[in-house]
Amino acid sequence: MVSPFCWGCLTPLRQTSRTILPSPSTAVSRGPAFHTSAALQFMGRPSQGGKKGSTVLKFRQPAVAAMKKKKKFVEKARPPPVGERKAIRKRIVLSNPNALEVEGLQELSEETMVDSRLRGTALALPVPMLDQLRAVQAFKPKQGWSIFRRPCTVLRRETLELGRFFDNVTGDVERRGAVIKKIVGGARKSGKSVHLLQAMAMGFIKKWVVFTIPEAQELVSATSSYAPLSEENPNLYVQNEATAALLSRTVAANKDVLSGLRVSQNHPTVPAAKPGMTLEDLAKTGAQDQASAWAVFQALWKELTATGPAPGLEKHYTPRPPILVTVDGLGHWMTESQYRNAQFKLIHAHDLVFVRHFLSLLKPGQDQPSLPNGGALLYATSTTNNPPYVYTLDVALKQVAARDAGVEPSSPQFPQPEPYSKTDPRVFEVLESPKSKHAQEGRLQHQILGGVTHDEARGFMEYFARSGLLQETISDGWVSEKWTLAGGGVIGELERIGKRLRVAA
Amino acid sequence: MVYILGLNFTESILVKKALQSFFGIGTDTSARLLARYHIHPTCKVGELANKQVLDLTAALSDMKIENDLRRQVLDDIKRLRETGTTRGRRHALGLPVRGQRTRTQIKTAIKLNRVDRRL
Repeated sequence: MVSPFCWGCLTPLRQTSRTILPSPSTAVSRGPAFHTSAALQFMGRPSQGGKKGSTVLKFRQPAVAAMKKKKKFVEKARPPPVGERKAIRKRIVLSNPNALEVEGLQELSEETMVDSRLRGTALALPVPMLDQLRAVQAFKPKQGWSIFRRPCTVLRRETLELGRFFDNVTGDVERRGAVIKKIVGGARKSGKSVHLLQAMAMGFIKKWVVFTIPEAQELVSATSSYAPLSEENPNLYVQNEATAALLSRTVAANKDVLSGLRVSQNHPTVPAAKPGMTLEDLAKTGAQDQASAWAVFQALWKELTATGPAPGLEKHYTPRPPILVTVDGLGHWMTESQYRNAQFKLIHAHDLVFVRHFLSLLKPGQDQPSLPNGGALLYATSTTNNPPYVYTLDVALKQVAARDAGVEPSSPQFPQPEPYSKTDPRVFEVLESPKSKHAQEGRLQHQILGGVTHDEARGFMEYFARSGLLQETISDGWVSEKWTLAGGGVIGELERIGKRLRVAA
Repeated sequence: MVYILGLNFTESILVKKALQSFFGIGTDTSARLLARYHIHPTCKVGELANKQVLDLTAALSDMKIENDLRRQVLDDIKRLRETGTTRGRRHALGLPVRGQRTRTQIKTAIKLNRVDRRL
């Protein structure tokens, strides 16, 4: 039964006598006057099945005319082409035309890299060398090269030491064939990667052969192909793609040196290596044909570490230059890799022959030094990009430092891992480097890069000021303040202070 | 285009995803298959060597996947029904099989649990 009250406002409904009700035809057009209750709606309810197009409303049909919404035209942006975003992310900008040109800027050269009077000044990297440095991926995307007119590095104490070593190995007859082996460590932003870059630059100046592994992580993160080495060695794995990339980097950067050297050893495993062909061509065959990359790399290494020709190939032999090897991010090589073997177990990084080869160089050689023609091994650790657990490496590096300082492994002062801690014996084994039998071969050292001195900090800040980035009067007091703010002259922190934009109040 | 087990895959997709497109192969099985043939997890179908494709196809053809597996699942449900077990009965009624409450939240069971289950 219809209620006598309106459900919407609880007022009594008007009683309308039947006699004054309008005829049904007009009642249809008249909507409910004041109330919205079902009672009135029912009274005005039209007969079902009204003609299409008439104004007759169905039960519960909204009386509002439907507004046609205009379809908004949305421009669909296409995603950028494959690889473009990564290219932008990895782009390295080495020049800023808005920065001032620094007057009287000297370039890194054979003379300036050993000149101790220039300590603390910024030296520019020679422009023709930039292509080589790019080829070996010496520059990292997040380093602040893009704010200066041209890339420069500060000549700090460690750089000068390195410069003198490079100079001696190449020039001095007595020191010829000397080898240094360093694991470069230090706090975050203390300039480890740039130290490697400076070493590479010096290597190019001195016409050494430079091998670089710019990201050690890429070898173990299971992002490139791998395969068992051979039937005889099913537990060793070869990474042909990564080896081919290394060869192509090496060829691009060391073209001049490698094109002057010829194959003078026998390589039964590499049919492509013909006696008398240049090492550049040899390396190129490996870079182009991935399947043979590892064999070609071994042949190239054998050639570069040769101290004399094979019998019958004397006419092709010329003395081999020293070799520089740099590795950035060593921590990733000191644990299990992300690769899996056929039994679905993780493969240890030391079972990858690529990694194993470069780590084996840290040990003293048996019959001859690990780099018989001299050279340097600089392997840098990282503080920000490490695998989850590097405790073993930390302890092993303390042991390296202790051994270098003359502490006997049997003495109680020798650093040992905490009892019950999880350690990896393979890491200790690979970094255990006894003193070499060969006088020229140095012992493995752990070099810790600290902060720069006040003088070096001043030179660095002056370079910022002369580039137009820093608008301050550089005084001793100001430099001293910033040196302290930078955690005792940590060079990356000094850079942050130097490039911070200051607005005059 | 690369054929794995008679199916055509574009070269740009990951091998892992290609394997997982088969009914009965999930993340774990595909990762184990990749490891067995020394294929790294970010490998694309186009980067596979011919031998690896043949190896994968051979391994897949030995496994119970796709229609064989579907048939087995349906047979299992049918067997439960025919032996008159509770599980079989619940399947037939379209109700939860594993003791869940039925007062609310049984839409999935209503949708899926049948004797001739859609797979």
